[in-house]
Amino acid sequence: MNDLSMDRRSFLVSATVFAGGMALGAARAAGQPGRSGPWGADAPAGIELSPWIEIAPDDVVTVRVPTPEIGNGAMTQVAMNVTEELGCDWSKVRAEFASIHRDFVEGGSYTSGFLPFFSGHGTDPVRMKQALQLGASARERLKAAAAARWKVPVDEIETRPSLLVHQPTGRKLRFGEVAAEAGRIKLAAEPALKSQSEWTFLGKASPGKLNLPEMVKGETVYGIDVQLPGMVYAALMQAPAQGGRLKSHQPEAVLRMPGVRAVVVVDPAKTKGAPVKPKATFGLQGTAAQSGVAVIADHYWQAKMALDALPVEWDAGPGAQWTSTEAINEARRAILAKAAGKSIRKAGDVDAVSGGKVVEGLYATPLCENATLEPLNGTALVTGDAVEAWLPSQDQGQAFWVVVDETGIAPEKVKVHQTYVGGGFGRRTLSDDARMVLAVAKEYPGKPVKVIWSREETMRQGRYRNPVMTRFKAILDEQTGLPKAVSAEANATGMALPMGYADMPYFTSGIIPNVRLATSDLPLNILTGAYRAPCYNSHAFITETFIDECAIAAGIDPLEYRLRLLGKWDKSWSDCLKIAAEKAGWGKPLTKGEGRGIAISNWPKGALRNEGTTMCMVAHVAVSEEGTISVKQVDVAFDCGRVANQDAVRAQIEGGVIFGLNTALNEEVTVKDGAIVEGNFDEYPILRLADAPRLINVHFDALSNNDRFEMIGEAPMGPIGPAVGNAIFQATGKRLRTTPFRKHDLSRTAADIASETGVVVTSLSR
Amino acid sequence: MATVRFRVNGKARSVDADPSTPLLWVLRDHLQLTGTKYGCGIAQCGACTVHLNGGAVPSCQVRLEDLSGADVVTIEGLSKQGDHFLQKLWVELNVPQCGYCQAGMLMAAADLLKKNARPSDADIDGALSNICRCGTYPRVRMAIHRAVAEQS
Repeated sequence: MNDLSMDRRSFLVSATVFAGGMALGAARAAGQPGRSGPWGADAPAGIELSPWIEIAPDDVVTVRVPTPEIGNGAMTQVAMNVTEELGCDWSKVRAEFASIHRDFVEGGSYTSGFLPFFSGHGTDPVRMKQALQLGASARERLKAAAAARWKVPVDEIETRPSLLVHQPTGRKLRFGEVAAEAGRIKLAAEPALKSQSEWTFLGKASPGKLNLPEMVKGETVYGIDVQLPGMVYAALMQAPAQGGRLKSHQPEAVLRMPGVRAVVVVDPAKTKGAPVKPKATFGLQGTAAQSGVAVIADHYWQAKMALDALPVEWDAGPGAQWTSTEAINEARRAILAKAAGKSIRKAGDVDAVSGGKVVEGLYATPLCENATLEPLNGTALVTGDAVEAWLPSQDQGQAFWVVVDETGIAPEKVKVHQTYVGGGFGRRTLSDDARMVLAVAKEYPGKPVKVIWSREETMRQGRYRNPVMTRFKAILDEQTGLPKAVSAEANATGMALPMGYADMPYFTSGIIPNVRLATSDLPLNILTGAYRAPCYNSHAFITETFIDECAIAAGIDPLEYRLRLLGKWDKSWSDCLKIAAEKAGWGKPLTKGEGRGIAISNWPKGALRNEGTTMCMVAHVAVSEEGTISVKQVDVAFDCGRVANQDAVRAQIEGGVIFGLNTALNEEVTVKDGAIVEGNFDEYPILRLADAPRLINVHFDALSNNDRFEMIGEAPMGPIGPAVGNAIFQATGKRLRTTPFRKHDLSRTAADIASETGVVVTSLSR
Repeated sequence: MATVRFRVNGKARSVDADPSTPLLWVLRDHLQLTGTKYGCGIAQCGACTVHLNGGAVPSCQVRLEDLSGADVVTIEGLSKQGDHFLQKLWVELNVPQCGYCQAGMLMAAADLLKKNARPSDADIDGALSNICRCGTYPRVRMAIHRAVAEQS
């Protein structure tokens, strides 16, 4: 790996002491809790040991983190990685967001050698290694500075937390006392990293997120909380049918309302285009401005009142052809009926297989909205030839280039500040929201404009979960009951990823001799995007429901069936299945009306050995006479290799179970004449505390200890839905092939429930 | 426009704005107290929960004109140093994820425990209907159980 040699700059000395370096009254976090932001300076500041690490005279270590913090702890994880090698006292560590402006001006202070973007998780192997190296480099330079001060050989110096100790004499110096000298030292060679067995912090300690003390006081600055002198507020409305156009509006009807300053129009044709080739992380496709109108006022409530009162007419545009959700489903079924999909995985010859029991089903997932609790928003100040923006982005490297593209302003004149993010789940990756903020703000130059989407606007202007409809067919072997042929076509719209479908080891390991998996595309005017674990969140539900149906048809216990199907695959998958089942009491008798279901999947690399995070869940579900589903217990076993912060992993899995459970039980946005019907949480239910499973047991026993620290936030989105659906089948005998489950009638009489026997036909053979 | 006088976190405040302005936006835009969050505007999510005259309410449903003489406590005023026992437990148990809902969650939990020192799980279910999209519910419940155990 030569990312380190490519990236010498990051390790080089830059002991520069600047004051503040802040523009426009947005003061740095230091010394001003509450009213300031979590973003770092746009130019070197403080006593730096690299653009990443600042050590103040009082020993406070500031780690500048390029990864945004959306609740997964990625910011804290990067600081932990640095701390492991730097050897500082964790209680003296703080973190702030690295400046993408500085990165651009300095030619890649934070990006080179990394994945070329600012997003992602804290334990990506390349990033983790670089953060460790940055910490090690800083530590060795601190030691060298102490050695020079004392005029002793450097190898006589050892580090204690935030201390340098001269072993022979016991003399001590604090990190902060020699940081400035250390910053001027250049090492002849980069120090070797500790082996993982020498780690004392990573994988050992489980600190909570660094920003929690501020958060519980209400001081965390999310995008919507940015405060700037002279700031004005905008309320935004976009064409209700995406792709539609503003036909007419009457600004004079609202311009005299209290506080109203202007009514501005967002015209997609006014996007200026980037003056240089943009390097947006995900490209600019899918980020186009939407036709819209905004009211700008002194306060948000005034802007919102005026927008509500503004007479507006829209041309619905081509999206209106989707008159209803049923029209979309009909179009999906029509495409699948043609059986003309593009083959993406093929083995043997499915057409030559005959005889044996046929299992066939049509499965579907709907459009869903990310429903981040912080509504979409952003703040920007456009002046002449410069722009400064404060954005709750999931990826600064995307947001920055979208801002450049929308305004046409040269990138060196563009500053984008990363705020905290009140939930991402993929919604804030493409930065289409950032573009709308700039499209509004550039129409009102000279003042910072905070643009806020109402909850209804946020929900109706989503970049929705890719809906998937799949026809699956298996022919089961007469002797083994396992499929001897599987064919399927999955219909999706836009970006179609194979995770949970074509990468499932059932289909890749060779255990099923004849396989043909295809995909097809439904062109849809309603815009789709990333929703926690894109596509996988549909595919895993569909595949694992189908596999369960095969097990039942074969008369084999669903756990045993999966173990046999994975007979040619990694032990780690079987371990996850066995441990989750054992911990859940699989096979133990349940009350009538209750059932257990199991499912397994891997994000994002199911087809590769020792890659991705494999996760199995067993759900214990009760279905009442009225048909109400309650999930009493979920047992999770998983393999992400190793874990760097056990409690952070546990928290992500707990949250992922609840998010994915909501997806399966509750979520669907419906369509009428090209527009989204649901607008708020009264129409788009989210599980409350009372509805969440009382027991979410996260078991670490299936970890393989393979040398990887894989991402954890997405994986739970795969197994939870099918585990619950399969449990509902065990409880009621009703097979749910579509989500959300709340739209199925599961009611039955007390007599029906009393006669339910459960449908597991064989006992476990192990 | 109308000037309304009331107390926020123990301080006398006076706000001149449209009488229909919800307390939520009075706090956020007029008094720069942004700890109270906008989530839905229709009393569904609880992110804007504050204490009004000693009880938890969604501040999006309280109009400025109804605030005359009222006593309002926000997350910024729940404790002097961020050391309310629930705030400390929230940190210790790593409860928040993105944290956006947690001010409202804390205000609802503090109100519950003030009125009911030993809430049952059903009491907790009834009092905390706040939406958390990250799914921190198990830890919220655990923190309240811990608070009850430590306070008794």
